[in-house]
Amino acid sequence: MAPRAPQDFRTFLHAIRATGDLFAIGDPVDWDQELAGIGRLSCERNGPSFLFHNIKDYSPQWRIATNPIATWRRMAVAFGLAPDVPVRRLYETYAARESAPIPPVVVKGGPCKEVVIPGHQVNLFDLPVPMVHEGDGGRYIGTWDLVVSKDAKSNWVNWGMYRFMVHNERLMTGFPRPTSHLGKMLLDGYVPEGRPMPIAIAMGCDPLSHLAAAATFRIGGNEADLAGGLRQSPVELVKCETSDLYVPATAEVVIEAEVYPDRVNQEGPYGEYPGYRSGEMGNAICARVTAITHRSDPIWTLDTTGFMDSSATTTSITGAIAIQRRLEANGVPVKAVYVPPEGGVHLAIVSVRRGGAEVAQKIVNVLTVRRALISKVIVVDEDVDVFNIPAVLHAFATKCHPARGLHVVSYEGRANTLTPAYTQAERVTRTGASVALDATWPPEWPADATPVRATLDSMYSPEVQRKVHDRWRSLGLH
Amino acid sequence: MTQEYETFARDRSRLVSGREVVLTLRDLAPGRRKYRGINVRAVVSSPARPGEALLWIRSVVGNREAQPCSVRIVEELPDAFQATPYSDFFEAMARAERG
Repeated sequence: MAPRAPQDFRTFLHAIRATGDLFAIGDPVDWDQELAGIGRLSCERNGPSFLFHNIKDYSPQWRIATNPIATWRRMAVAFGLAPDVPVRRLYETYAARESAPIPPVVVKGGPCKEVVIPGHQVNLFDLPVPMVHEGDGGRYIGTWDLVVSKDAKSNWVNWGMYRFMVHNERLMTGFPRPTSHLGKMLLDGYVPEGRPMPIAIAMGCDPLSHLAAAATFRIGGNEADLAGGLRQSPVELVKCETSDLYVPATAEVVIEAEVYPDRVNQEGPYGEYPGYRSGEMGNAICARVTAITHRSDPIWTLDTTGFMDSSATTTSITGAIAIQRRLEANGVPVKAVYVPPEGGVHLAIVSVRRGGAEVAQKIVNVLTVRRALISKVIVVDEDVDVFNIPAVLHAFATKCHPARGLHVVSYEGRANTLTPAYTQAERVTRTGASVALDATWPPEWPADATPVRATLDSMYSPEVQRKVHDRWRSLGLH
Repeated sequence: MTQEYETFARDRSRLVSGREVVLTLRDLAPGRRKYRGINVRAVVSSPARPGEALLWIRSVVGNREAQPCSVRIVEELPDAFQATPYSDFFEAMARAERG
């Protein structure tokens, strides 16, 4: 029987401890920067997750786990696979399971209800919310969360991963972008009617539910179904205390709140997934907590946001598959897509069966229609393996014409305000641009005049290639 | 111990103009409530005046100035500003300042 994806966060922690990808720390650690700093270094060194048992100012009842699936190894374990499977296999697994969604089931109770704190007793400072980076606008709750919201006019339920910051005992500010699904629900359905929008922030669910929340998913699609497909079993949901929203029953902590339709507060700045703190302040939402529920011995979850955090791997997979599906739906002859985690979710590599200027321009047009999170797309011919970064760099450096190979689309109102290259003025108006860097041969070039790659597999006869490989093996080389 | 706060400014000159301004402060007192936010009407002084709480000004990307100012809180304001979601927070503060 195939190994099963961990169905809750604790099972996942056991699994990554068994593979050597989780370290426990029993010594006291300060929630104010020190704890997150350890996680940050781990991201930058492709290191392990940490489970902190002794957090300054807080009782041992609380623990904090960092960067659940910030490495491919831990991502593989989350899928129930061996930790050393190739990235390509993870992509294939996600694509296959994404195509077979499983709706959630509702249960009457769950571990997330072991402690129930009504709104009038809520104090967000009772939660060990870390200060992630020196100079952030405040302490961030939503670094590795699952935020549930519901469309005001339909049954569409959105799961997203959005950042939220503690303002005071009961108030939070948040930055689900206005172009996000939550932002769209709020602005289209609740603000015009002056109604507060209920949300629920679930922390410490099974990692594939968080992956589904972080996924680039279609408008109207329910990520809970996607999560069921990824887990290969339905997510068990339980009703919130103060709204008709449902959250994963095995969550460690659930914060229920209402987003104001008519109030704002300071939010940010925050060191974000592109690897910078870009100053995208003054563009947020404000929410009042209506209840908190949690396990009796809860584990807080933290992604130490920045270069190579968990969103680097999650968006690498979910973003790439979403891009591939969208390009296919728009008639682009796409073969494969890779979003390298080192690109801070700003770079995609697309291989195509037929290249050229027209295809490159179409790719960048299609990928920026509604919102534009990716700003650079390298387009390569199908003989370039998108997962082989040296090969991609070689193609880009040599085949992309410095003038004719750049295909730009500019836009206003849908740019990624976290893109470090933009000015503060561009952030405010969400003005930006994306470019396709065409590293394909122009299809109009005759084959007998198209340069031939000087590699063993391209510039040597099959007979010589065979002899070389035989010789190579005989020398004991791999 | 002198009380310390920090604030984030898009336009520093507005803060240190010597007149009453509306701003959000983060309380830097150690402990569980560190970084708690309060919205206030206050007067900021640069350089810092003896006897007043210290105020560290940070830029919109979080860089802290080398020297603190000081702040005298005139009144505490409601814990949120009237404006539609995604409105510019600094403009919402400026509106509150104008009354």
